[in-house]
Amino acid sequence: MSMDQELVQRVQAGDKRAFDVLIMKYQQRIVHVITGFVHDPIEAQDVAQEAFIKAYRAIPNFRGDSAFYTWLYRIAINTSKNYLTARARRPPASDVDAADATNTFDAPELKEFETPESNLMRGELEQTIHDAIGELQEDTAMAIKLREFEGMSYEEISEAMDCPIGTVRSRIFRAREAIDQRIQQVMTEGEEQ
Amino acid sequence: MTADENELLSALVDGELRGRELDKAMALLGKDPSAKDRLQRYQISRDAFHGYGTKQQARATQQISAAILLEARHKPTNLNAVEKTNVISLPIRFWQQTLSLAIAASIGALVVVGVMTQPTTQLVPIMPMAVLESTQGSEPPGTILVASKAAALTLSLGNRWTVEEQEIEDRLNIYLVDHNEYAGVSDIFSNARVVAYESGQ
Repeated sequence: MSMDQELVQRVQAGDKRAFDVLIMKYQQRIVHVITGFVHDPIEAQDVAQEAFIKAYRAIPNFRGDSAFYTWLYRIAINTSKNYLTARARRPPASDVDAADATNTFDAPELKEFETPESNLMRGELEQTIHDAIGELQEDTAMAIKLREFEGMSYEEISEAMDCPIGTVRSRIFRAREAIDQRIQQVMTEGEEQ
Repeated sequence: MTADENELLSALVDGELRGRELDKAMALLGKDPSAKDRLQRYQISRDAFHGYGTKQQARATQQISAAILLEARHKPTNLNAVEKTNVISLPIRFWQQTLSLAIAASIGALVVVGVMTQPTTQLVPIMPMAVLESTQGSEPPGTILVASKAAALTLSLGNRWTVEEQEIEDRLNIYLVDHNEYAGVSDIFSNARVVAYESGQ
């Protein structure tokens, strides 16, 4: 059973914190997908909120036949279409594929709707991450790269790097801490400007 | 927060926690507000790897979480109610179905009993005893023999199910139509109607 499935079961048992974790995990992806439909970042936030509320209401009926994100993605798409229809705006003719939507760079339908500000921010974040990784120890940098760029699980990384899973977890944590500190700096500077 | 706790949250962001460790992380998020902030920061840094993740979106996450909590407060028994429904609904449905079947069986039994008890004497062609006896020829009259002769005649003319008497058909149809009101009681037969003997009824 995946962690998402466990979290869903917890929500179904009445644990609202578990849904918070799911929101945190998928909110940015969902907002990104919705932006591809409504084209306005502010509206996208509202639609995302509505989609999450719908998902929260419907989650007792979620049986886990599909992955949680796929189910959530479908709710987000339908909410976006309903939103556009209610405002007499035409929804896009084709959906963005759920798998493609998980990665901006592979989803040109979404990329074309990015604003210059979001592009700038993204570019800045990419550079920040690149710089932070450059300052990490080799093993730590390798662990986070395998995790984030190759999408490997901890178990796969432990096999690839020939080290215990606990070590992988520690290395990824250290890398994430370092990257987080750099991102916080960028965000704080951006706020001051 | 300790380094171990932060490491736990990092693993949570990666979706690598199960069972007890997930319990531990959820408990941490419940008791320590800074744990949620930390988790959100890790999530932002993770999302940044994949091309999305801005401060505005981080704020929006908090707004959405707050809206969900508000939603949950407005409907505090929402999930519990549905959960209870999931647990209890099956037996309720079971009893509803059982009740429906029982009602259907009762209607069927009533129809059969009604048909059997109604004009039984009329369904079986009655032949006066004298006529019967006259058909017996030299055989001595006897009850058993008379009954067997009557049965034989009945078979030759048709039985109670195949007899072609308009009056009997009419009475059966009237009976079926009159007892149609029993059909709308349950979910199962809510749209059902007892079919009359004739298609025109």
